[in-house]
Amino acid sequence: MTVVLLSLATGAVRVSPGAILASLFGRHSLTATQQIILLQIRLPRVLASGVVGAALAISGLMFQGLFRNPMADPYVIGSSGGAVLGACIGIFFFSQLSLFGFSATALLAFIGSVITMALVYSLARSNGRTNVITLLLAGFAVSTMLGYSSYFFEAFDSGSGSNHLILLSWLHGVIGIPHWTQLSVSGALLLFAAGVAMPLMRRLNTLALGDEYAHQLGLKVEYTRIGIILTGSLLTAVAVSLGGLISFAGLIVPHVARLLLGPDHVRLLPVTALSGAIFLVVADTLARSMFAPSEIPVGILMAFLGGPFFLYLLRKTKRSYVL
Amino acid sequence: MNPLLRFCDVSFGYGGHDIIRSASFDLLAGSCTALIGPNGAGKTTMLRLAAGTLHCRSGDVILNDIPLHNLALRKVARTVALVPQQLDVPFQFTVREVVEQGRTPYLRFLRGPMSEDRIAVDRALDLADVTGLQQRIFNELSGGERQRVKIALGLAQEPKLLLLDEPTQNLDIGRQVELIDLLHFLRGEGITIFASIHDLQLVEGNFSSVLLLTPEMPLMDGTPEEILKPSILEKAFNCPPRRHPLLLERMQPHAKRPG
Repeated sequence: MTVVLLSLATGAVRVSPGAILASLFGRHSLTATQQIILLQIRLPRVLASGVVGAALAISGLMFQGLFRNPMADPYVIGSSGGAVLGACIGIFFFSQLSLFGFSATALLAFIGSVITMALVYSLARSNGRTNVITLLLAGFAVSTMLGYSSYFFEAFDSGSGSNHLILLSWLHGVIGIPHWTQLSVSGALLLFAAGVAMPLMRRLNTLALGDEYAHQLGLKVEYTRIGIILTGSLLTAVAVSLGGLISFAGLIVPHVARLLLGPDHVRLLPVTALSGAIFLVVADTLARSMFAPSEIPVGILMAFLGGPFFLYLLRKTKRSYVL
Repeated sequence: MNPLLRFCDVSFGYGGHDIIRSASFDLLAGSCTALIGPNGAGKTTMLRLAAGTLHCRSGDVILNDIPLHNLALRKVARTVALVPQQLDVPFQFTVREVVEQGRTPYLRFLRGPMSEDRIAVDRALDLADVTGLQQRIFNELSGGERQRVKIALGLAQEPKLLLLDEPTQNLDIGRQVELIDLLHFLRGEGITIFASIHDLQLVEGNFSSVLLLTPEMPLMDGTPEEILKPSILEKAFNCPPRRHPLLLERMQPHAKRPG
């Protein structure tokens, strides 16, 4: 809550946190300009970064657990490639269009990432079983392939180059100012996915023993895996549609939580979700206020902020990271 | 008395080639059986068939009078636990967290562990004598400690039948003896033991019966004295008797007898 308040107060136009609190309790009203800035610009953006942060962190946690690999992140099964393709179509052809409060870019990025993940998943599936290594490799190939599609769009773009700038910032992750409809749909999807994720956490602990052992213990490995992939994919798609490709958050937040709490997924889920949200709200606030009125993509700031912090934790912790 | 587990004319193979051919044998409740045989003969496969994770191509594996293929694995896992040769755990799970996974077959769909699960985990840790290790990180344990934790993980399933795949492999002789003592102790607790063993010297005196699985001969079933004869072992393992101390030692009484 404090983070949200401070983040609301910061920006190109400063509004003191005291004034926000006072108006919240009806003591003193803000000016009309201040109200517009707060309610229509800053609040949606702060909430959006919270949603994106939580979604990326949970999905990173799930994919790291599923692949039993600390290098996995939310984009590991190819969602980023499809999202880039979708976003390119949105930026270059339908930049003015919006549907029920969703911009075409957001909607197409969402659809793109869901379709790619479905494609990668079906490629990795044979005889009713999913090969995890094939899943990783197919994800890598598809995301690289589709990820570079943006260059074709740029090559054929006759416009002034403003599209290029929009695309560039999208690729590095920029949280826009979403319409309230988009925000509430995304928030509902996040809550739904987090609810589905909860019973899956215990099963991720069992899967850590390996598929064969989990199977022997009576766990329905294939269904569990499908559940994890679907939930993780949904979360990634939500994040991508709100904030573009934000790297790093989905990779390091689960690690930080794991270094502090140990690897038990049941305990990790709430902490990971919350710290992901806080982490991204802070990063986004800094991204838009450090060089105000211009701003830098939050994904870039994330790498600069999160990197050293993560390295520090990695050195400091007693739980060494051996695999 | 009915056998706990019964193999009836079981055949199984990978890719058209049968490794297990018409195997039939019984595991009596309370027995302690060693499964021996050369590398690649299908010992691990046999254990997986017994645990129900593989289904036989023909024949039946029967647990307490019910064919395994009619039972959900969840149900099987409450009676049979398989301790694998290798267990790799990613991340820094503690011993207790690893052993808790043995309760999986008892957990309801949306519920986590209850108090009876905690009691079962405590008991499993106690039986395998690893209570003192429970807060240690699994990946940092020595080979002998790891083997005992793997057994504790199996015991958390509260099994009637404990299957062990090469439990003495990679252990020094002191740890091997400790492990055999643990198996004796568990047998005293009413758990039936079925273990694949490479080290034939550990079989005699420690196991009540022996199964010999070889690619060429039919499955042999008998007491250690009946099976561990140089003539049989020489053929089964394709090992010249004078080249191995174990066979050489066993041949000497025979050589002296005529005199």
